Amino acid sequence: MSRELLASQKNNSGILLDPRTKLAVLITIAVFILGGSYEGVMQYYIIALAAIPLLLLLAARKWKGAVLYILIFGGSLCLEMFGLSRLTGVANYIAVAVVGILLRFTPSVVMGYFVVTTTTVSEFVAAMERLHLPQQITIPMSVMFRFFPTVAEEWSAIGDAMRMRGVRFGGGKASAILEYRIVPMMICSVKIGEELSQAALTRGLGGPVKRTNICKLGFHVQDVIFLLICLGAFAAQIYVLAARG
Amino acid sequence: MNNKLQGKDLINIGIFTAIYFIVIFAAASIGFIPIFIPLISVIVPLVGGIPMMLFFSKIKKFGMLTICGVLLGIIMLLTGMGWWCIPTGLIFGLISDFMMKACDYKNAKREVLIHGVFSMWVIGAFIPIVVTRDAYYQNLLPGYGQEYADTLMAYMPDWILPVLLIAAFVSGLVGGLIGRKIFKKHFERAGIV
Amino acid sequence: MIECQDVSFSYPASALPDSERQTGGALKHISCTIEDGSFVLLCGTSGCGKTTMTRLFNGLIPHYHEGTYTGSVYLDGKDTRDLSLFDISLKVGSVFQNPRSQFFNVDTTSELAFGPENHGMAEDIVRERVKRVAAQLKLEPLLDRSIFSLSGGEKQKIACGSAAAIDPDVYVLDEPSSNLDTYAIADFRQLLFALKSQGKTIIISEHRLYYLSGLFDRVLYLKDGEIEGDYTAEEFCRLSAKQREEMGLRPLELAGLSGVEGPPQRINEAVWTIKNVSFAYKHEPETLHITETTFPSGSATAIIGHNGAGKSTFARCLCGLEKHFKGTVQDRSKIYSRKERLKLCYMVMQDVNHQLFTESVLDEILLSMGTEDKQRAREILKEMDLLPYEDCHPMGLSGGQKQRVAVASAIASERPLILFDEPTSGLDLFHMRQVASVVNQVADTGRTALVVTHDPEFILRCCNYVLHLENGQIQESYSIENNDGRNRLLKFFLNDMEKEVSTE
Repeated sequence: MSRELLASQKNNSGILLDPRTKLAVLITIAVFILGGSYEGVMQYYIIALAAIPLLLLLAARKWKGAVLYILIFGGSLCLEMFGLSRLTGVANYIAVAVVGILLRFTPSVVMGYFVVTTTTVSEFVAAMERLHLPQQITIPMSVMFRFFPTVAEEWSAIGDAMRMRGVRFGGGKASAILEYRIVPMMICSVKIGEELSQAALTRGLGGPVKRTNICKLGFHVQDVIFLLICLGAFAAQIYVLAARG
Repeated sequence: MNNKLQGKDLINIGIFTAIYFIVIFAAASIGFIPIFIPLISVIVPLVGGIPMMLFFSKIKKFGMLTICGVLLGIIMLLTGMGWWCIPTGLIFGLISDFMMKACDYKNAKREVLIHGVFSMWVIGAFIPIVVTRDAYYQNLLPGYGQEYADTLMAYMPDWILPVLLIAAFVSGLVGGLIGRKIFKKHFERAGIV
Repeated sequence: MIECQDVSFSYPASALPDSERQTGGALKHISCTIEDGSFVLLCGTSGCGKTTMTRLFNGLIPHYHEGTYTGSVYLDGKDTRDLSLFDISLKVGSVFQNPRSQFFNVDTTSELAFGPENHGMAEDIVRERVKRVAAQLKLEPLLDRSIFSLSGGEKQKIACGSAAAIDPDVYVLDEPSSNLDTYAIADFRQLLFALKSQGKTIIISEHRLYYLSGLFDRVLYLKDGEIEGDYTAEEFCRLSAKQREEMGLRPLELAGLSGVEGPPQRINEAVWTIKNVSFAYKHEPETLHITETTFPSGSATAIIGHNGAGKSTFARCLCGLEKHFKGTVQDRSKIYSRKERLKLCYMVMQDVNHQLFTESVLDEILLSMGTEDKQRAREILKEMDLLPYEDCHPMGLSGGQKQRVAVASAIASERPLILFDEPTSGLDLFHMRQVASVVNQVADTGRTALVVTHDPEFILRCCNYVLHLENGQIQESYSIENNDGRNRLLKFFLNDMEKEVSTE
């Protein structure tokens, strides 16, 4: 189901990584590529980092995502290296903004896509528990991930009803349309939420004992390799900063 | 009354964070066209008021908004928007929580103000674009000249962060007012409060 | 053992929508004792307090629902006030009405493990429990699946399994069959037998009674918040059909339905014709394949078939909601395109909350009109018994009233074809008959009604024709205006129950 933010069913293809490793890679990419560290040796390191999502996508046989990534990222890179200097005026202005943002966000977005499509909700929550996040965060988090597909289902059912009743955009009713869509969606979701709370509480959620989790997690060789690459990025950055100052 | 967060409160946080995120995500889709990204700081607080004002009416304990902010940060990280929303979500969530506590969780007018404050978490999505842009362009594009740098600065001037922050706050107030209106018009009468 | 001593409870007025403030499921002076190992059926009309009573047993009252509460409920001698929900959850397992909303996890195995995890049991013990429950309740084929891929019946079985994983002594079920088809209900019945044979105490509140015969050994009949009858199984089965109907209860066996009063004869030569239908969801095999079929215009037609037969998809395609639908829909005068069908048909959805948008019932009707005409809108509301509610918020009405608002707005939009998607799931006898009379009203005024349903009594009350879908194809279609047709219909529903008897 494409409406899920995290998967509900296991998908065992490609390089299997612990959710904590995936998060570490995601954060590393966010820090260095999105954060814009391109000094000295980092120039080359970030290319390695940007290649990680591509490698993972290819290994997981997510061809469509991989091709899209190559096109967007590669395209922006080419445009930046060869095209920008030839554009002038407004075209240059727009191109600079678009290319700059695409180049920096795409690796992070694609890595995020990889994480959410290959991790199940239980794995993610188990990983958060292993990272010693308190129950006050992990419980709402699992409810949230559980709830995304439900809210999305409500959203599309309401959309169907609107089409059927001929309620459409235009005719000076844009705000009414938003209201018609959000209000029933919220009322339905809140009702489902009430029922969900009751069902969860009658099965002992929120008790005074520490929850256990049967989800199996663990680091393997591949995890170690990826974690080392991440550590390397931080080490390189420290080296660059030290060399500068 | 027990002031520790109970199971019911924790579930409510999860539910409303999910609703809030879907609503703002749907509304912010316009920001996927890169040129419109700054508009996100206006759109998100504007539409976010509707779910948030309903959420506020269910908050009776300290900490619920802080957790909500952190969760928003975590989803933003997962959707590839960087990690900056985690600290901003935490900070503005915490301030909102203190403000909620100060008005004893039952001042509807103050809630509009609180929504303005809470909405400022979105600034986390812009920090990576603005703060480090110099390093990015100078290093990756040496030799593009002054003209190029000027274009860049015109698009992302130094003062853009505070401006975006204020924009988020003000549209948060407006969003809060819209939220109140919808709240009275629909949610109260439908019996889900 | 569970003991209620002079329990009264009422919900706070503010927690209820306008329409329910009068009755609202309050309980008055309930006293009863439920022995260990008994199977107790709670029955009565909607709003009689059945659901409220289940909440007394599973601790949601007083720990979740606030209200005025006097008297005491004792679980094995302890007052539920002095126990927390966490403590109670070890003794009482709950299963609720809506299979969509009672899952905390998104995969089945985590859901089964959820209770034991909450109680902090060690990981290998939890795994052991999951395995045992799956074996006992025959849930193995469902392990490691996404809950979004399960049918309603499968979800309800997992919900029971999840309650059973904590191994409580008491099970409280609140209308668990509401959203299930006859086949899934027969399956669910097996599961209840399995729990009963373990010597568990089972308390079930239900409208559909036929699938529980042979299971319950005591029946508590509630009326207006009081226990009005306390029967043993034999006493209850001996009640005459007339007594039962006066009590507002559904029949104990389906075979007795053949005498139900049917609608007027409405079929004539005018028909809707559907041809060369083929439809598949993205990346999935074909779900619908119909060469040609017809159904009578100006009458009510029931669409029946098992879960997954393609009934809802068929209805969606007909309404023009599916873009990739190939095929034609026509009446005598013309062939309708997809966009035209969006304006031709109106579907009253299973969850009617999805289609009510405005802030008052009157606005809702006006929204559907081409040109707003308040007088005509009021006339329609009056026809539907809704005039007193014209200023109420639609979402604040009861389920049946909301359904009527949706039908009223369909009538206001002057659509000739009105579809109902499972309009009677979870309704008691009175409300089911009310919906049947709405469908009759639609058909009597010359419109065509199509009803997707699992409810044989409802079909007999208002439909003239049956389309039976199986595996995306029309298996058979026949008129039920004569006795042959009616018996054929009943046979379809009885077959499911019999299949189950033979495996027992």
